[in-house]
Amino acid sequence: MRRIHSFLKQRKEAFARVVFLVAACVCVLCVALICIYLFASAIPAIAEIGPLKFLGGRAWHPGVGEFGILPMMVGSLYVTAGAVAFGVPVGLLTAIYLAKFAGKRVARALRPLIALMAGLPSIIYGFLGLVVLAPLLRNLLGSGKSILTASLLLGIMILPTIISVSESAIRAVPAQYYEGALALGASHERSVFFVTVPAAKSGIMAALVLGIGRAVGETMAVIMVAGNQAVLPEGILSGVRTLTANIVLEMGYATDLHREALIATAAVLFVFILLINFLLSLLKRRDVR
Amino acid sequence: MKRGLRIVAATVLLLAVAAGCGKGGGGIYLITREESSGTRSAFITLFGLEIPDEQGRRIDHTLATAEITKDTSVMLMSVAGDPEAIGYVSLGSLSGSVKALKIDGVAPGVAAIRSGAYAVVRPFNIITGSAATSPAAQAFVAFILSAEGQAVVEAAGYVPLAEPSPQGSATAKLTGRVVVGGSSSVTPLMEKLQEAFVEKYPGIEVDVNQSDSTIGVSDAVTGRCDIGMSSRALQPSEIARGARETTIATDGVVVIVSHANPVNDLTKEQVRQIYSGEITAWADVEVGA
Repeated sequence: MRRIHSFLKQRKEAFARVVFLVAACVCVLCVALICIYLFASAIPAIAEIGPLKFLGGRAWHPGVGEFGILPMMVGSLYVTAGAVAFGVPVGLLTAIYLAKFAGKRVARALRPLIALMAGLPSIIYGFLGLVVLAPLLRNLLGSGKSILTASLLLGIMILPTIISVSESAIRAVPAQYYEGALALGASHERSVFFVTVPAAKSGIMAALVLGIGRAVGETMAVIMVAGNQAVLPEGILSGVRTLTANIVLEMGYATDLHREALIATAAVLFVFILLINFLLSLLKRRDVR
Repeated sequence: MKRGLRIVAATVLLLAVAAGCGKGGGGIYLITREESSGTRSAFITLFGLEIPDEQGRRIDHTLATAEITKDTSVMLMSVAGDPEAIGYVSLGSLSGSVKALKIDGVAPGVAAIRSGAYAVVRPFNIITGSAATSPAAQAFVAFILSAEGQAVVEAAGYVPLAEPSPQGSATAKLTGRVVVGGSSSVTPLMEKLQEAFVEKYPGIEVDVNQSDSTIGVSDAVTGRCDIGMSSRALQPSEIARGARETTIATDGVVVIVSHANPVNDLTKEQVRQIYSGEITAWADVEVGA
């Protein structure tokens, strides 16, 4: 009897192990499939266009066989950098405020709002950008749909991610750090900014990675405020087309090489994200040492 | 901490300088549609922006720095919010939020199109592939072309056919499903036709999917939908793949500006010069009466 019991238990154990393994494999399989599909379609296309012409070409005219995605790469970079420049300081300061300075009532009022911000569909942000931000910037600076508009909008969109992830990172720092600083005579502000926040660095880095990931990948909102011109931007007030916008604008009707060039654009986007994650994990590792 | 502040201050200053370098007001802000749009295709053909090069390829001479949008409503909102913007939409999509320009002194409208005075017109076509369509789809086509269907066309603000065909012989008991897809310009009209048709033939289900003319044609050819919608004439390559077109109405292409723009009247040549970048400032366009 006991034997049967333990045999059943083993069976159950093995079964549970398989279930969990399968669940884990779904993730891996998805990433693997995306990789295989993307690169299997992208590499022949890039080879046909020519890697230099594809990555370094300034002209995107699918109708006459010119597929240069340099303007879109530059566009994605500028817009993302702008979003980080705007979103990270605001988000980080908000997180510090929520974790260490805000009274309970204020925090209780703010947190649901930030959660709501995270849940809003991007098309709503796009609408906000189109109806409020673009006319406002047009009146102030003379150009409504530009890198600046897209950056500001994306900066707003990455706020909830940055705030919630860095707030929990700051909260996770042991209270002894802060108390120790106080005991050494530092003020509340000094303790928070020079002891607690640096100790939360790796969590804040994670917030940065997630924020950048969202900014690079965002499409629907950007497409409504960036102007989508496939030319190299002249300045921060020129319109710009991002890699994601390029795919969405043209995928519907693209055929043959044009279609493959768009898939190759997606592959470049994929490599972009990989690079960003890799660079930041390097940064993080150095910090730990 | 001080160094951090300095970096932030420097970034803000740099941004401000970059913003100051931007173009001032007074320039014309061009908005166009994506390349596969039937409205864009009709627009560049009608205004002479499409010129064949030495090799016979038809090159679109729309300025590359023109904003590109995929959506009629984004076009309307962008133009309404920017006194320097110019754009174009289908006559049926025109709303009071923007000002329709007279072309060569003629205001767009159903009467002006019917009399031939307003010449910036294009056909609304339905596309069928070479394969035989279902009885339900045939009944829908017959309904659209009948006097009854053409009355719907007129009520929707488009110009109906000169000679509607006699009512088809299909019985009201017919059942089935018809999938219609394509041009976003034809979609609003098709939805009204569908409502009137389904009322008469309750057994038939009609799905209208909005995309663009090029997708509508290719879906009709591949059989992904029964009837394609297109707001431009078929291209030779599409006819070679077996697409056939039937005109169901005539639509005007309307050039629009914001109500805040003093210009009321442009010549066809001026529109061409504006969209090809030969005229870049509103001051260079004589303000019409």
